[in-house]
Amino acid sequence: MSQSLRPYLDCVRSSLTAAISLQNFPSQVVERHNRPEVEANSTPEVILNPLHISRNEHEKVLIEPSINSVRVSIKIKQADEIEHLLVHKFTRFLTGRAEAFMILRRKPVKGYDISFLITNFHTEQMLKHKLVDFIIQFMEEVDKEISEMKLFLNARARFVAEAFLTNV
Amino acid sequence: MLLLQYHNLLIQSILQERFAPDAQPTLIDQVISDFDNVTYHVSTPESKTKILISLSVKCYKDLEKYGVTALLQREYEEYAVAPEAGYDFSIQVDLENLPATAEEKETLILKIALLKRNAMAAPFEKAFAEFDRLAAEAAKNSLDLSVPEDSGSEVMAIHYREEESIYIRASHDRVTVIFSVLFREDTDRVFGKVFLQEFVDARRRSIQNAPQVLYSNKEPPLEIRNVPGVSVKDDISYVTFVLFPRHIARDRRENCISHIQIFRDYFHYHIKCSKAYMHSRMRFRVAEFLKVLNRAKPEVEEEKKTSSGRRYGTR
Repeated sequence: MSQSLRPYLDCVRSSLTAAISLQNFPSQVVERHNRPEVEANSTPEVILNPLHISRNEHEKVLIEPSINSVRVSIKIKQADEIEHLLVHKFTRFLTGRAEAFMILRRKPVKGYDISFLITNFHTEQMLKHKLVDFIIQFMEEVDKEISEMKLFLNARARFVAEAFLTNV
Repeated sequence: MLLLQYHNLLIQSILQERFAPDAQPTLIDQVISDFDNVTYHVSTPESKTKILISLSVKCYKDLEKYGVTALLQREYEEYAVAPEAGYDFSIQVDLENLPATAEEKETLILKIALLKRNAMAAPFEKAFAEFDRLAAEAAKNSLDLSVPEDSGSEVMAIHYREEESIYIRASHDRVTVIFSVLFREDTDRVFGKVFLQEFVDARRRSIQNAPQVLYSNKEPPLEIRNVPGVSVKDDISYVTFVLFPRHIARDRRENCISHIQIFRDYFHYHIKCSKAYMHSRMRFRVAEFLKVLNRAKPEVEEEKKTSSGRRYGTR
């Protein structure tokens, strides 16, 4: 792992651990509703200050905590057109399966590539530190996956071109 | 499968089945499509023993200008018949009048399966003949062969797909084949760029004998800039193959024609393959992520029961 990645991930890990201290909170506006307050945005006093963690201008994380939910948005590194496309394909692939991922948000927050929404119901069902682990591992592997796919594409293109041209 | 075959597999297998020594003649009526808007019709209109194979090419009008009729007549001489209505060229094979040996049958089958390739070969053959003429002329006038010169020979355009064309031009020291390439999807465009860049670089890197490949985006290459109908559009790019005399030596010509023709199909085929691979890879990665997430769920301890279904008393 590179020098700057370690502190970045450490920072995200500790901030997330701090942010995920959630409790049940029925809506104060509508009776018998219980919604993630960070999404509903109807009770300003239970929404905490959002937090940006940036490694550089291309890679950053936005954590928006509230009393009963945390929204985590990740911007994945995209150095060029190919990476942009691969990230787009990959995140679309993931959000298409959001049902299985429980904490995955179907649509990323504007300006980010992928968002997670963790509510108090999730933390009641799942272990908090493992949830944090998941997000950290996701961030680590997504970069690796994208660059591997890009390398593969280049290798294949090279092989294909050489195979064609040697036979002319 | 790395390289695509030049012939049509379906036609080959149909004929192989019919040509087998113990095969019963049956009724056939089948429309087969091939790359680049080419359609075949295999049928038995008169009797079950007479198989009619018709070919329809979108750009037959273009090909006709470059002597496709003569070429197909030469290739299929005795089998050629008047074209079926709605098709451009037809051949008829009589099952009762087949060549005797198995090898000869096999050659005939392959020849028929190469119908599309042979039709599209017409402008290439014409260009190579033109090249021979110009080369001989240049030798006579003792021109320096290494100096590129505008020969003024005609650029042959084949509009083989709706928006894509092949342009061929012969001069005394080389034959230039230009493909216009258009991608319908953004993904294909990005992948295609990577592939084309590798085609351009391949020669520089390892294969010195390969034809030179040039790639230009938007701007049509100089050779075809004056050709009517060449559009300057944002999403169109041009791939140029420069065939040098060593590629079009007499014994390699046939192979070279087949190979250059298949370029677009080959190239697109591999883009699709890469996409399919990415997809399966992402599927795998998503499954891995799900496993990690599921680890976050604490295991629910199963209640231990006796075989009769009663619980152990913990109360």
